[in-house]
Amino acid sequence: MIDFGRVQKELQECSKDIEASGIKVTPKGDNLTRLLGTIPGPTGTPYEGGTFQIDITLPDAYPFQPPKMQFATKVWHPNISSQSGAICLDILKDQWSPALTLKTALLSVQALLSAPEPNDPQDAVVAQQYHKDYQTFVSTARYWTEAFAKTSSLGVEEKVKQLVEMGFPEPIVRSALEAVGGDENLALERLCSS
Amino acid sequence: MEETEKPVEMEVEVQDAESEDIADSFLCCVCLELLYKPVVLSCGHISCFWCVHKSMSWAHESHCPICRHPYIHFPSICKMLHCLLIKMYPDAYKMREIQILEEEKSTRTFSPQFDALVCHGTEEAKVDGSSQSCTTSTQCGSSLQAVSSRDVAIQEENAPQVKLNENSKQISRSDVLCVSCKQLLFRPIVLNCGHVYCESCLIVPADEKLKCQVCQSLHPGELPNVCLELNHFLEEQFPEEYAMKRCAAQLREKTLHSESSKAYVHGTHKDEDRKSLWSGKVHIGVGCDYCGMVPIIGDRYRCLDCIEKIGFDLCGDCYNSRSKLPGRFNQQHKPEHIFQLMRPNPEHNFMWRLRTSILSFSPDARNETAPNASSPGPIPPTEVPEGSELELSLPFQFEADADEDSSETEAI
Repeated sequence: MIDFGRVQKELQECSKDIEASGIKVTPKGDNLTRLLGTIPGPTGTPYEGGTFQIDITLPDAYPFQPPKMQFATKVWHPNISSQSGAICLDILKDQWSPALTLKTALLSVQALLSAPEPNDPQDAVVAQQYHKDYQTFVSTARYWTEAFAKTSSLGVEEKVKQLVEMGFPEPIVRSALEAVGGDENLALERLCSS
Repeated sequence: MEETEKPVEMEVEVQDAESEDIADSFLCCVCLELLYKPVVLSCGHISCFWCVHKSMSWAHESHCPICRHPYIHFPSICKMLHCLLIKMYPDAYKMREIQILEEEKSTRTFSPQFDALVCHGTEEAKVDGSSQSCTTSTQCGSSLQAVSSRDVAIQEENAPQVKLNENSKQISRSDVLCVSCKQLLFRPIVLNCGHVYCESCLIVPADEKLKCQVCQSLHPGELPNVCLELNHFLEEQFPEEYAMKRCAAQLREKTLHSESSKAYVHGTHKDEDRKSLWSGKVHIGVGCDYCGMVPIIGDRYRCLDCIEKIGFDLCGDCYNSRSKLPGRFNQQHKPEHIFQLMRPNPEHNFMWRLRTSILSFSPDARNETAPNASSPGPIPPTEVPEGSELELSLPFQFEADADEDSSETEAI
C-alpha cells in the first residue's frame, strides 16, 4: 500500500517553497498515484528558460520503491530518451532510498539536466552527438527547449490571435488554451486532435 | 520546545496532531511523521521501527535511508527515546500508536508492546528497562486488548491526563541519563540492544566484544556513531550542563592524548570480515530475533513452538548464548520452546533473489514469503546433500543453479 499520508505531506512541503525551488508537484486526478512534476531548466544550460513536465507514477510500495518518472516534455539530453522521455538516473533505480522524496528526486533530475553523464547514456544518438559534436548538441538541446519547453513569451491574446488565424473558432481556442495551461503548442495539438 | 496546548478532548478520529509542534529532529525521515518506537541505527540515524523494517533488504546487507551506511543488524527499539517522545508529544504519540496498531492488526504482525508503566514508572523501571514489557505469558491478542482498553481508560480520565501532560512538558535530567554513569548523557550512543550510553562511558576492551551493561547482550559489529539528533536535542535542552561536560571532555581528551591511547576507537571491530561471512550460508528473508541480524548468516535455529506468522528464529551465536530476550515482533516465545537447526534453502534463496532482482515487489509480498521461508516444511535432504549447501556470494550469482532451477522459474 502506498503511504498516502506521506505523499500528502510531501505535496504540502513542496508547495511551501515553490517560489525558491520552482519545483512543483500536482496530482493528476483524484488519487495520488499519478502526479505531474514541473522543473525549471537550470540556468547556464541549454535548458534555461524551459519548463519541463515530468509524469510521476507511484508504485504500490512507495516510498520503499522509487517513483517512476518520465519526461512528458520532449528534451534533448544524453540521459533522457528523446523518444519516450525515460530517465536514466541511479536514484530512480537501485540507489533509491526511502528518505528521498518526490521533491528531492525532481531536484536530482534538474541536476541531471545541468550535469549530463554521456558515458552512461539513455539515448545513444544524443550521447554520440554530445561526444562528437558538442556545439551541435548544445544548439539542438536549446532548440528543443525553445520548441517544446517554453510556455511561450507571447501574451495570451497573441496566442489566441495566432490560433484564430489558423482557422479555429475563438471560444474553442480559448478553452483549449486554458485546458493546457496556456501552452500554444499543446493547445494546437489539442485543437487538431479534437 | 514550545508547544501549543492541545484541546482537552483527545479524539481518536482527529487526523492530525498538528497542535503539538514537533521538532524536525523527531520526524522520521521515512514516513515524515513523529518517530514511533524509534530505532537508532549504528550510523546514529533514527527512524521508526516499522520504517526501518520496511526499508531493510532481507536478501543482503541493508543501508541507512539517510546516509546509506551499511548494516546487517536491525537494532532494538530505543526505549529511552520512546519514553522521551511520549513525554514531549503525548497526543501526537498516542495518535501514532493508534494508527500503527491498526496497521499491525491488518498485517497481524506486531511490534514490541511496551507497558505505559515503563515510562511513567520509577527510576528503577527506567534503568533496568531491559525487560521488555509485553509479558510473555499473555496471548498477543489479549495484550493488545489490554493496550486498547488502556486507551479507553485514559480517554475517560481526561482531566488527570491533561495535568500529566502539563507536568511532562518539562523534560528532566532523569529522562535522559546514561545507563552507565547515571548522569546526563553526553554525546549519546545507542547500542544494538537500544540502551543509551555516553560516548566516553563505552570502553571497548581490546579484542573483545562490546557488551551492554544493562541487558548483557553483545553488541555486534563496530561501535555505533553518536546519535546526533539526540545530541543536539540535549545540547538545546541542557545548554549549561552540556557546555561543562564538553569542557571536561576536552580536558580528558588532552590528558588521554598524551598517553596516546584512546579509550575507544570507532570501528575497532573488523565486523568479522564481512565478506567472508557473506560467502557462507545465508538465510534470505529470515532475521534473528535477538541480535536482529538480517538476513541470518551461518547457522539458523527456528522455534518449532512459536505460532506467530512471522516465526521465531535465532542466529547461531544467539542460540548458543541462551539469552532470554523477547522476540522482535511480540512473539510469545518461551525458554522451554524447542528449536530446530535449519539449512539454508537454496531454492528459496534463488527464488527470492530472482524476484528481488527482476520483478519489482512490494513489502507485502515480502511478508507473505517470509513465513514460507521459515515454514518447518520439507527441507529436501535429497536435493541438499550434506555439506553441499549453496555457497552464495553477493551480488547475485546464479550461473551454477540457474539451470537446475529453470523449471521453477518458468513455473512462476
